[in-house]
Amino acid sequence: MIRHPLAWGAWTVAALAVAFIDRNPYLQAVMLLVVINVYLPYRGRRRAGVWKFAVALALAPILFSVALSRFGRHVLFTLPPIPIIGGNWTLDAVAFGASTGLALLLTVAAFAVLQTTVRSADFVAILPRPLYRAGTTVALALAFAPKTLASFQSIREARQLRGQRTGWRAAPALLLPLLLTTLERALQYGESLDARGFGSGRRSRYRPFHWTAADLVVVTASLAAIVAIAVLPAVPYNPYLDLAPAVPNPERLVAIGLLAVPALTSSLLRVDRARHHA
Amino acid sequence: MWLGAAAAAALLAALLSFRPAHAAIHHAALVVQHSSGNFITRCVAFAENQITGLQLVGRSGVQYEAQAFGSIGSAMCQLDREPSTVPSGCFGSGPYWQYFHRQGGGWQTSAFGASSSPLHDGDMDGWRYAAGANQAPGNVAFASICGAPAASATHMAVAPTQVNPAPTATPAATPSLEAFAPSASANPKAALTSTGPSTQPPKSTAIAPWLALGTMAILLLTLGAVNLRRRGP
Repeated sequence: MIRHPLAWGAWTVAALAVAFIDRNPYLQAVMLLVVINVYLPYRGRRRAGVWKFAVALALAPILFSVALSRFGRHVLFTLPPIPIIGGNWTLDAVAFGASTGLALLLTVAAFAVLQTTVRSADFVAILPRPLYRAGTTVALALAFAPKTLASFQSIREARQLRGQRTGWRAAPALLLPLLLTTLERALQYGESLDARGFGSGRRSRYRPFHWTAADLVVVTASLAAIVAIAVLPAVPYNPYLDLAPAVPNPERLVAIGLLAVPALTSSLLRVDRARHHA
Repeated sequence: MWLGAAAAAALLAALLSFRPAHAAIHHAALVVQHSSGNFITRCVAFAENQITGLQLVGRSGVQYEAQAFGSIGSAMCQLDREPSTVPSGCFGSGPYWQYFHRQGGGWQTSAFGASSSPLHDGDMDGWRYAAGANQAPGNVAFASICGAPAASATHMAVAPTQVNPAPTATPAATPSLEAFAPSASANPKAALTSTGPSTQPPKSTAIAPWLALGTMAILLLTLGAVNLRRRGP
């Protein structure tokens, strides 16, 4: 089973390279299959929101492209000369938007896999020593935003229960307790960090990371995929020039197939959920 | 659900890639109308699935001078010796070469430059040297330049050579091509040019990449089914 954060980091970098570079629909479909395969052994019920967001993100470019682009040769229908949306609505624009949306979907999917498989604390723990403090600060800052939003909702609900106004006119009355709550939380964070000896040295781990054979295989496959994707010529796709995509060369398919190694190892070795989430 | 979506995406991509097998030799037509009203027409045969508008001009044998403008594409500065000297900055301050595509029986202003405009079998490009926007060339049918599409689809060696205009309509704003006299082209016999042997198979018929793609898809779907059965959500 793959546990080392660096192995998942290497896989994510390779997956993002494919998502950013390859716009050929065949390669994008294969990459989507790869990401789904890698995600399946680690899937849980809580991540449905991320995938819904990813699908919405993938659909948005299609709507924007088909509604705003007047280019293309395969006309679906023609609207009267209404500003912005009037004119030919083309299949070429749909294909261009779908290609862009699929690239966004793959990007979010790669990060969703990383988020599912690696805890942010584990990533901070493996950062190089010069980046450890900055990484911890960024992780805390990122965690601060949703907690501040939750505090704002709590204060708002408390005011509603008391029958007080919650509109924009009540903003000063909402902001003051929010500011005090945020400052109090910041002090708690500071004391927690101090109690854990933050800044005095590298944080120790109860269970240090160990490289397994599966981790090494994934890192090797991911690095090989990155090199192959960078070296092999990309298969371009521009639906405005030719709607039909070119079939990708086998070498590039193999490079993307290397990213399915985590799914392969998971199918051969059972995923230990308790150990994975430890 | 995800596997179904991915399979549907792959199927859609496969449908988009469908090309007729008989379209090995293609023809595109070119109409060039000078400021004097004279015009020339050319029919160009090509083996590729598509060529650009600039390639069409180049392969037609008509003299031209184009200038590249980076990512925007190339602009036509001089065509068939008009203007007599290439203006500074390509365009000059007066008339310029305007670029059109034939669509639905009329000329449409090209959204792209000639170097970025793809042409397929049966397409027609028009150039007109005029001042002011949207000065389209006169109407002319593709069949009058390249012959009937069915005849030109498979027999490059006997492709029609007529360049006589046979207008299909005569708009009030632009004079009919029947009134035009063909100009002296630099190389009139270059009306038909070939870019490769007629037996050259199209790229999409290569079976190895399709086999690799299908094998990869089947392997991934099988792996997904195994991982799906191993542990429920």
